Amino acid sequence: MVVHPVLLIAIPLIAAFIIPLAKKYGFAIAAGAMAFNMGYAIGMFSYIYSHGKIYEMIAGFKPPVGIFLAVDALSAMLALLINLFAFINFIAIGKEWNYKFSMLYLLAIAGSTGIVLTGDIFNMFIFFEITAVASYALIAGKKDEKAIEGAIKYMVLGSIASIFILMGIALIYSQLKTLNIYDIAARISSMDEKIKWASFALLLTGIGVEAEIFPLNGWVPAAYQGASSGVASLLSFGPSKAAIYAIARIMMVIFPFHATYEIALYVGVVTLVIGELAAFMQEDVKRMLAYSSIGQMGLILIAFSLASQNIQNALIAAFFLIISHASAKSSLFLLSRSPSMGGAACKYTGIVGVLSIIGMPPLAGFWGKWYLMLAAINEKLWLVIMLVFFAGIVEAGYFARYLHKSMGNESKLNLRYKVAMVVMVSFTILLGLLPIAYKMASLPLWGW
Amino acid sequence: MRRYAGAAIAIIFFAFSIGIFMQLASYNDYEGSNYYYKNPVNGSLANESVPSHYIKETKNETGAINAVTAIVVEYRGFDTLGEVTVLFTSATGVSFLLYHVYKKLKKREANLILKEGSKLVLPFALLTGAYIFIHGHLTPGGGFPGGSVIASGFLLMMLAYPEFFVREKSLSYSESMAGSIFVIIGLLGLLFATSFLQNFIPIGKPGYLLSADIIPLIYIAIGFKVGSELSSIVQKLKEVEK
Repeated sequence: MVVHPVLLIAIPLIAAFIIPLAKKYGFAIAAGAMAFNMGYAIGMFSYIYSHGKIYEMIAGFKPPVGIFLAVDALSAMLALLINLFAFINFIAIGKEWNYKFSMLYLLAIAGSTGIVLTGDIFNMFIFFEITAVASYALIAGKKDEKAIEGAIKYMVLGSIASIFILMGIALIYSQLKTLNIYDIAARISSMDEKIKWASFALLLTGIGVEAEIFPLNGWVPAAYQGASSGVASLLSFGPSKAAIYAIARIMMVIFPFHATYEIALYVGVVTLVIGELAAFMQEDVKRMLAYSSIGQMGLILIAFSLASQNIQNALIAAFFLIISHASAKSSLFLLSRSPSMGGAACKYTGIVGVLSIIGMPPLAGFWGKWYLMLAAINEKLWLVIMLVFFAGIVEAGYFARYLHKSMGNESKLNLRYKVAMVVMVSFTILLGLLPIAYKMASLPLWGW
Repeated sequence: MRRYAGAAIAIIFFAFSIGIFMQLASYNDYEGSNYYYKNPVNGSLANESVPSHYIKETKNETGAINAVTAIVVEYRGFDTLGEVTVLFTSATGVSFLLYHVYKKLKKREANLILKEGSKLVLPFALLTGAYIFIHGHLTPGGGFPGGSVIASGFLLMMLAYPEFFVREKSLSYSESMAGSIFVIIGLLGLLFATSFLQNFIPIGKPGYLLSADIIPLIYIAIGFKVGSELSSIVQKLKEVEK
């Protein structure tokens, strides 16, 4: 069987283009395209798990000349995660909006999928643009004051970020005359030292805005607070995860130097501590969850930054942290639609999500922090370990307050929301049990 | 407004057929010329494999004598699909956010010169736009500038006649059809050749109108798409004007 990862991008695009011709069936077409994507992503993931990486040429030109898609195990996993959660989330929220929402949603998903699949740095920029432009409109979709504020903040920062990314790419191209990430990686040593670091700084700053890392995340609380809960859920599993993966890919493939990993480690630690402390101060639930997301992105960045010495533990940690954060935070955002969380489904979602983010065994968040600790211990980074523990305690503090406040009256969520969030949050349990099952069967944990 | 759409389509077909009959053979001089791009930055560290491939192989591989077009539509066609999608996303976003905000238009008559002048200019704007995107592989220009010229013609009409509007439905139809055709051409490449957006029809003789494999098809789609998207953005913004 021949797998074509490009279909994961082409099918949502054509569905988004077709929807205006059949406005009444907008929801059905979008859901169908996402269901196809979900199935295809599952197939692609299992193929890559057993056969290894896939490279797909676009337009039939060999890679340095043409564009190509490079799909490894981690990017296949992220594509699967994004498309799976997108489908579940869309089934819950899609009916509340008109067909234009379906189009923008599809475009945001196609863009995020493109970011994780592509192996060409300019192509990555294009997909960042698609994702960002679709996100601005989706955030503003509620049309009240808060939504517009969040969208405008994101739009201003996002536009500046796009220019930074483009400048970084232009500097690389001016020196190396190539855009393919593996070609750049092979020639990076012939690059002028100053221009190399300038381009890395520009790329990190630009993508950092989308990835919500510390000094660049001024838009995050406003955007998550203003957006409707379904869109906030989309932002927390889609664009932000794709962007943090883009940073990791640029760092690990193009700039695999000691200094880059060190910068990423510092940025990650600062993001973690400041995000968690800011979340502790918040009264509003959505703002608290948004700041908590910032902290979690810092944690994921720390995991990737440890990949220079012990790649096995660090990548497993990043894998579990991404899964845990995506599933728990997306379902908590759906839950935040109603202020109280009475009722079995809502209580289950709230408790499991919170415990997974804090890092309780046997949920996925626990394994993320566990492998992160193992990697950090190997490098003897005691301060980092202490700060991660400290952040965990702060998390436990504000999440306990959140649970205490909102456990109460029956919530008014409809059935679609409940099903979607229970399914989403169940992944953190499933993936948390996976390592135990693997250990019992004495299999290697992950075939990297 | 069916008249305007009909006129636009008729003009485009006319320009296309005239081009075919004339066979535009004046480009044959190109064969002997040798204006290859030398390395502009002396002493640069760069490898020249990608730029020199674009310069030396473009005509053989794609049949386009405008190398910029060949890069935009063939070598990096996937990026162009993305760029078209960015424009589509922003047009959709504008109409998503302005969906319920219809207000009564305040009519203010334009002066005589603007009214008569824009009537005179509109057909030429449409013709020029169509010419630019149909001849994208032969002359400077392509789908994006051609579409913008067409949209500017409609913008002129909207300025001159406050009651002028292009039917919402036709705009969104041409937008969707053009976008779908772009992706379908890509998928046909996957079906008949080996990869997405790959060429699957004969290249033709470089320099003629019917050459450069799928470039003219894609550029016509992009021209329609950009033209209708920009017009629809302008029209949306005009509708909510107080």
